[in-house]
Amino acid sequence: MVEEITQKEKTKKLKKAAKKGLKVMRKTKAHHPLRKEARIIKYGTSGFARNIWLSSAATIVMAITLIILFVTVIASVVLTNTAEMMRDKIDITIYLKPNTSEQTLDNLTEIISTDSNIKSVETSTSEEEYEKFIAENAESEEIINILDDEMKAIMIGKMQSTMRVKVYNVDNLDSIKDLVAKNQTFQKYIDNEKAPTYDVNQAEIATITSWARIARTGGIILAAVFLVISVLIIFSTIRMAIFSRREEIYMMKLVGADKSFIRGPFLVEAEICGIVAGLIAATVSYFGFMHLAPKLSGYGINVDTITDILSSNKLILVYLVFIAMGIVIGRVSARLAVSRYLYKA
Amino acid sequence: MILLDSVTKKYPGDSVPALDSISLHIEPNEFAFLVGKSGAGKSTFIKMITKEEIPDSGKIIVGGIDLDYVKKRHIPGYRRRLGVVFQDFKLLPRRTVYENVAFALEIAGMSGKEIRKTVPKVLELVDLLDQAKKFPNQLSGGQQQRVSIARSVARQPKILIADEPTANLDKLTTEEIIQLLKKINDFGTTILVSTHDETIVNTLQKRVITLKDGKIVSDQKNNGIYKLDATPVPKVPNRIVQTPGHALRQRRKVI
Repeated sequence: MVEEITQKEKTKKLKKAAKKGLKVMRKTKAHHPLRKEARIIKYGTSGFARNIWLSSAATIVMAITLIILFVTVIASVVLTNTAEMMRDKIDITIYLKPNTSEQTLDNLTEIISTDSNIKSVETSTSEEEYEKFIAENAESEEIINILDDEMKAIMIGKMQSTMRVKVYNVDNLDSIKDLVAKNQTFQKYIDNEKAPTYDVNQAEIATITSWARIARTGGIILAAVFLVISVLIIFSTIRMAIFSRREEIYMMKLVGADKSFIRGPFLVEAEICGIVAGLIAATVSYFGFMHLAPKLSGYGINVDTITDILSSNKLILVYLVFIAMGIVIGRVSARLAVSRYLYKA
Repeated sequence: MILLDSVTKKYPGDSVPALDSISLHIEPNEFAFLVGKSGAGKSTFIKMITKEEIPDSGKIIVGGIDLDYVKKRHIPGYRRRLGVVFQDFKLLPRRTVYENVAFALEIAGMSGKEIRKTVPKVLELVDLLDQAKKFPNQLSGGQQQRVSIARSVARQPKILIADEPTANLDKLTTEEIIQLLKKINDFGTTILVSTHDETIVNTLQKRVITLKDGKIVSDQKNNGIYKLDATPVPKVPNRIVQTPGHALRQRRKVI
């Protein structure tokens, strides 16, 4: 009985002591909320400056990564735009008998427009085709000189009226082919001497389609691969930096620093690396692209979208995106790297 | 102030426990030496108090805190209540002397104004005010240990634990460090110094707890002629250890 009471007393006393102690411990936490954050930023900044060599290495790796990511994204956008632009230029030309009337052309347009794949139809009578021919050869005096009224009448009588058809999906032309081949009105007016240009453009269409697909999917895959590689590189660089300071982390823990106080300066350092890397990468990318854009444009590559973004006030947004990406990559890498040593001690 | 009741700790793979049913009580404001050869269990003892290690059984109460109730998230807060001095100083190499001492106050949430007031006073106490701007690697071993002591006392802890604080120091510096610890003890701080060096123990006539193979083989006030290799004293401590467990056992005997 005595033993039981003593045991109870003992437990009660110990619990009371523990509660009192813990209460005091918790009280010590109550200090200015921003004081800790300000100190973390101060230590992070001085850490960045004091470890300038490792900080610079991490910053350069991060900047290169961001530039690679920019190039990948730009390549993807530019190729997709170029492919789209070229696809837009592709049309199917259906040649109709010379002197097909405008009314007939309208009828045929109505018929072909029933196909859901049709995006637009442009028609041109023989006279309009002649006018185009004149316009195209306006500078050639030899041709203009021989084109008198008699010649004009002969040419108009020989020139086919045309229908230029643009479609949504260049890969699926079967229904249009079918319609043109089987419709009686088409059969009546179609010029049998010159077949529609489905097959002429088929190879070109296929190439551009595959380019566009490669640009889209390849771009996404490449960007993802580069992102993973870069995070790994940055992670290793920051980890190397933190590895050399693992003792420091252990010491901080022993003198009673809590995890956020230990982790914080490392995260701040990585964020500073990210900000500097973002600024460097954005500047290099901007000048690099602006330098290359006219050359790319000369090769028929569509750089308009990107040039528009970089030339307008959206440039600030581009810088912010670069900086934000730098911060995110740095923070994620540092958090991963520091946690290994933080939980070990 | 520090109370251990039947504390046992055995590391995985070891045949004998590092600490074997240790019970002792260190009173407030007391200065005690924890003496033992390498492997006697001194470091484990200290690690138990700093909660780097957890006992397999038994109870530890430090400064009114039952360590069983100190959860993982409370450990930093608990450690901030202790002053700990390490054999290898454990100073932050990238921070100056001033910053090392200030760090201990910053993590405790002290304001900048208070820190600016406290740090010079503490550095003056350890006679290092003129070295405040230097980095640890620019100081001698003794100076580094004094910085370590300054850091640990800056928060004015009630308990100061020193784990082999003079192991890396020469004789003269050792004496300086011990005198400094005594000075801190005179201000009212409970001090526990672990050492394997009996000459340090004999510089002060204070309580000496001797550990051997994880057990307390002696616990007595030193009269200045302590010898670690002396004939083993009986296992029953010659000092009455007032722990709850001890009291319990005494009552059992009565029953």
